[in-house]
Amino acid sequence: MRRWALLPLMLLAAPASAQTGQALGQTLAQRPPAKTYASICAYCHGHNVGPIILGRKLPVEYIQAMVRAGRNGMPAMRPTEISPAELDALAVWISKAPKDIKEHGQ
Amino acid sequence: MSGATIDRRGLLGAGVAATIGIAGQAMAQGAVLAPGVSKADLAAALKAMRAVVGDAWVAGDAESLRPWSKSYTPDPTGRHAPVGAVAPENVEQVQAILKIANQYRQPLWPVSTGKNMGYGSTTTAAPGQIVLDLKRMNRILSVDTELCTALVEPGVTYQQLRDYLDEHNIPLWIDVPTVGPIVGPVGNTLDRGVGYTPYGEHFMVQCGMEVVMANGDILKTGMGSTKNPSAWQAFKWGYGPYLDGIFTQSNFGVVTKMGLWLMPAPPVYKPLVVRHKKMEDVARITDAMRPLRIAGIVPNVVLMMGAAYQLAMFHRRGEVTTKPAQVSDEEIAQFAAKHDLGMWNTYIALYGTPAQVAESERIIRGAFAAIDGDVMTQEQMKDNPWFHHHATLMRGGLSLEEVGLARWKGAGGGLAWFAPVAPAKGSETQGQIDLAKQILARHGFDYTAAFAVGMRELHHIIALLYDKSDPAEEKRADDCYRELVTGFGDRGWCSYRTGVHAMDLVAAQYGETNRAVNAAIKQALDPNHILAPGKSGIA
Repeated sequence: MRRWALLPLMLLAAPASAQTGQALGQTLAQRPPAKTYASICAYCHGHNVGPIILGRKLPVEYIQAMVRAGRNGMPAMRPTEISPAELDALAVWISKAPKDIKEHGQ
Repeated sequence: MSGATIDRRGLLGAGVAATIGIAGQAMAQGAVLAPGVSKADLAAALKAMRAVVGDAWVAGDAESLRPWSKSYTPDPTGRHAPVGAVAPENVEQVQAILKIANQYRQPLWPVSTGKNMGYGSTTTAAPGQIVLDLKRMNRILSVDTELCTALVEPGVTYQQLRDYLDEHNIPLWIDVPTVGPIVGPVGNTLDRGVGYTPYGEHFMVQCGMEVVMANGDILKTGMGSTKNPSAWQAFKWGYGPYLDGIFTQSNFGVVTKMGLWLMPAPPVYKPLVVRHKKMEDVARITDAMRPLRIAGIVPNVVLMMGAAYQLAMFHRRGEVTTKPAQVSDEEIAQFAAKHDLGMWNTYIALYGTPAQVAESERIIRGAFAAIDGDVMTQEQMKDNPWFHHHATLMRGGLSLEEVGLARWKGAGGGLAWFAPVAPAKGSETQGQIDLAKQILARHGFDYTAAFAVGMRELHHIIALLYDKSDPAEEKRADDCYRELVTGFGDRGWCSYRTGVHAMDLVAAQYGETNRAVNAAIKQALDPNHILAPGKSGIA
């Protein structure tokens, strides 16, 4: 458990190397929001494809609706991909996150 | 009988079947029940499934089904939207769901990660099906660091597998298709997808499956039922008829575990791009590449990327042309040159010791110097985003940059892959390009395409990009796709894979005997036809 406590800071510093802690034979545990963002959202948003969404104080409900509906070119994410609990945490995290200067959007 | 006729008959059948009485966007688009299934059957089946997996993991109304209904492929009449979704978390639940489906004759549409973008995602080939969403089954069951193998469930994404290997400092590579983070080895292999390292032909490096049959029996292919479990991922063929193939691109069982081989990280990785300036150069690139691929000097699945396809990833159509008609080669060439791209950009990579890589590079440079190709290295391409993208893919790196294609034409996110196959001969290229351009132009679409060279074959990968928010354009895209399938099929260029919207049409091109054999296997293994009727044209 101590390892998990360090996660958020580590994730902000280096999202690509964020830990899932998945063990053999176990299903994927609920991911911290920064890891969900790094594993799915960040590949498009802030990376040439989707608009930047961090640091814009987007409303939590709006983010949740976008994730499930997948507007326009954006894929829709099912509850089996981003669980309801993960989405709740993710939407709050994105809404509150500061701008990431390393991101470049369209 | 043409596939188009069969489809229209399907629609007529749909017209007389009961529509579901639930108001809402997905349902209102004309979703109908499966043949012989009543509204009460569907409701009872969904209720029984709730008892198996819990309320949270069954969707049965338009609002909760919304993420399962999203698709990039054309569906002008809404016949591909699912009527429900159920998400088991283990094999026992899969068996229980199949039992319910048999009881109510309610067809299921199994998906692994459900992100077969441009081939239908989680939408279904025929109306009235419940998505059997296996994404929650995401256990990595074993990784053998000596044999370099893994055994995974259908919901495991390439991201998860990469994370596991990294977190355990295991120096093995994965091989990903272009949308790696959100898709996984099981679904991609079962659809006979490819990646871009030397392990790019995914079905070749698949080894062992566990399959839940329609009657609930559990089959382990290859060595899976012997007393030495590690042999399961070591030897593909087992004994007797080789069965794994019949569970790819099919609806004969639900694959719940799959083994795959992983490539050891090489000491040296060297990505290269070969640029050619003219559209017609593709024939000589193919002829130069074939012997290099057959001899294994170029070890990876090679992409010959057309400039328009490349540009569509990171740019919008409006930046390249202001005309509504098909974008011209001249417009593309001009824009491409400004961005350090050729008309064809052939991405290859070398893997091995410094001496192996140097010798292969020497041979490759010789072959391409003879046909005026510029062979460029990472150092020369610097931070060129297209080179970076392909250098990432060719080492099994994760990227979603190709999703950008869906924005080429407006905001509507329409994409359908058309992927006919030919022998890897230069003489097979120009005729295909001319035909594709002609058909696409007739319907007002651009030629955004690539070729891929496998072991002996040439895949023509055409991205049909359209604005799905415009219903008229969606209809045109559907018509255009059908004309591509039939026009190419008449010349013997048939698809290796297709979306839910054209499965029947493509299957018809592979011959009546082929269809009859598939139908007989289907009847024997799934007599109630509860598994994905319509998949690959097998009802």
